[in-house]
Amino acid sequence: MKAKIAGIALAAVLAGAAQVHAADINVCVWGTITGPDALVNGMAYGARDYFEYLNQTAGGIEGNKVKTLLLDGRYKLDEEQKIYRRCVSEENAVFINGWSTGAVKSLRSQINSDAVPFMTQSFASDVLDPKNLPFIFMAGPTYEQQLIIALRDLAAKGGKSVVIMHANNEYGRAPVDVVRKSGQIEKLGLKLADTIEFPYDTQDLTAQLLRVKSINPDLVYVQASTPQVLVVLRDAAKVGLPAKLFMGNAYNLSPAIPEQLTKDAEGFRTIQIYSDYGSDIPAMKDIAAFGAKNPIEKKDPYYMKGWYEGIAMAAAIRSAVKKAGGVPGDIVAFRKSVRDEMEALQALDVGGITPPITYAGHQGTTQARISEIKDGKYVPVGDWIRAE
Amino acid sequence: MSLRQIMLVLAAAVAAALLTMTLGRFGAFIVYTVAIAATGALALNLLIGWCGQISFAHGALLGVGAYTAGNLGNAGADMSVALIGAGAMTGLVSVLVGLPALRLRGLYFGIATLAAQVILEYLFKLLEPLTHGISGLLIEPAPLFGLAVRTDRAYAAVAIGVLALCAIAVSRLMQTDLGRRFLVIRDSEMVARGMGINVARTKLWAFLISGFMAGLAGGLLAFTTRIAAPEAFEISLSVDYVAMVIVGGLGSIAGSIVGACFVVLLPETVQRLGELVGISGQVSAIRDLVFGLLIILFLIFEPRGLASLASRSARRLVAFAARRRAPGDTRPASDKGKTPLKAA
Repeated sequence: MKAKIAGIALAAVLAGAAQVHAADINVCVWGTITGPDALVNGMAYGARDYFEYLNQTAGGIEGNKVKTLLLDGRYKLDEEQKIYRRCVSEENAVFINGWSTGAVKSLRSQINSDAVPFMTQSFASDVLDPKNLPFIFMAGPTYEQQLIIALRDLAAKGGKSVVIMHANNEYGRAPVDVVRKSGQIEKLGLKLADTIEFPYDTQDLTAQLLRVKSINPDLVYVQASTPQVLVVLRDAAKVGLPAKLFMGNAYNLSPAIPEQLTKDAEGFRTIQIYSDYGSDIPAMKDIAAFGAKNPIEKKDPYYMKGWYEGIAMAAAIRSAVKKAGGVPGDIVAFRKSVRDEMEALQALDVGGITPPITYAGHQGTTQARISEIKDGKYVPVGDWIRAE
Repeated sequence: MSLRQIMLVLAAAVAAALLTMTLGRFGAFIVYTVAIAATGALALNLLIGWCGQISFAHGALLGVGAYTAGNLGNAGADMSVALIGAGAMTGLVSVLVGLPALRLRGLYFGIATLAAQVILEYLFKLLEPLTHGISGLLIEPAPLFGLAVRTDRAYAAVAIGVLALCAIAVSRLMQTDLGRRFLVIRDSEMVARGMGINVARTKLWAFLISGFMAGLAGGLLAFTTRIAAPEAFEISLSVDYVAMVIVGGLGSIAGSIVGACFVVLLPETVQRLGELVGISGQVSAIRDLVFGLLIILFLIFEPRGLASLASRSARRLVAFAARRRAPGDTRPASDKGKTPLKAA
């Protein structure tokens, strides 16, 4: 009798263990749900929603439910550091989707030693180094590559000269310095007519824009945040320069620009890496199906970035689970396997959000296209352009 | 603080440091975050609670400590040297911040410190060779007395040690003539002058010592976060520290520690409670509101701070226990067995 009870108990324990084992894929997403960067927090919601979509439509990944924890880093370094440790040691996340450049830079050596796959929202080239930072992945071209894409577009359209305006901080300076020193501008047959630096908290750029007007370039690329782009375009209109002359980076694809500047923003162009929400692409059908049963917090290109990241992370996790014949019990081995599978992703279809992605270089895609404000809305103009 | 009490504090610190070795990384992170915040709060409490000089530049002073320690650590200095260097530099900057206190008082001085906070924030962004501007200074781990300190548990042990040393130092300081002069100045500068106290010099001593401890806290912050960036030392950090001191208790070592625990742990507690009841998304938006509301409630119902509330509660508990032991005897437990004095 005792042996029978022990047998039943053992079977129950094993069955329980197997159940837990099958449901244990933890993914951690943190964004700026509240805080200064909340305008673009669709990225965090998009990633979370994709995993939830998999749970609802496919029973998770290979039959294993994904537990996605969405946390608010509030764009505060201490909060993000805390969340990272929670994700690694308490939640046993197999993949982390983190937020600010500052946090990723401060955590990069720990990400290495924890050996946890990390999808960063940053486009800073400092955190892109497949050799020395093998666990950090990015979701698109770096700021430098975005600038090169703009220059390629200019060269393809027969332009000859470019002026670069940038803020006087590292976000403004660093990418411009890298591109300038690389000789890419000259290789494309272009002339860098001038580089104009301005204070990152500028309120008036009339003098600088009068200088631009006297140079009369074919393109003015602005490497700055949206509040500064607003000042640039406002003062450009003041001195009689059309918005069509100016182009910003991927984070300037902000509705605030057409909303605040109305007609003065018409023609302004930005780098667009991800298709807009509502585009006629296959991924949008999945999003619409998800949206029919669930609320969608943000309906913008940043949400699409999050959805793309969800697809990429899920694909790597799926491959690792398939290879192991189930969810590995050892989280260290599971993370290592997911990293390897992430790096092995080749031409993965992301439903048209971007062209198919390959993660050997830890970026997924190095392509983007140009989007232009037409009638108060961003409209993609032209096809995808490669940075390399 | 007597020698026995000092030994007790050190023993408690050693016990706490050993205890953190049993914690996970998240637990160790929370421990050192609280310990660093408590060190910073103790520094500010010395200024506000004991010397009566309100300061809103504390966040930036921590930043000075962080950048100094970071640069020294990156240059190959031992963590102890980097921390002492951070304390010395921050002490000097704190004296500069305190100079207006020689002419201004109360809220006027508070506004002057606010200006200092803004100027320092601006300098963090401007002095790129030292601070790496807006992108921040990346900081390499530094050894402590030749031993590698890299894990969260090790940082927790170091932070607890620094806090214990600061608490002992403040306690000893308040038993010296200088400490007593702080108290006189806090209560009345006019009386202090009447007593022959050099008010200007005494205030600057307070700024120097407070700044030194703030530098230690900032230095620890630098080594634990591995980055010193301007956005981490903004006015909101100064406000957090003022909140810690007020909530914990002005002029109290225990208050500084309890206040730090409250300010650091409350948002996390609210977050976890929200997750438990399935409203984590909404909680992230309202947790600052909850935090502010609780501070207002404390100011109304317990203006002397949590430390005072705790000690009063403990006294009541002891009295209650004593009454239960001897229902007819309402004297405190310590008086039991003594013959009551007869009324004259």
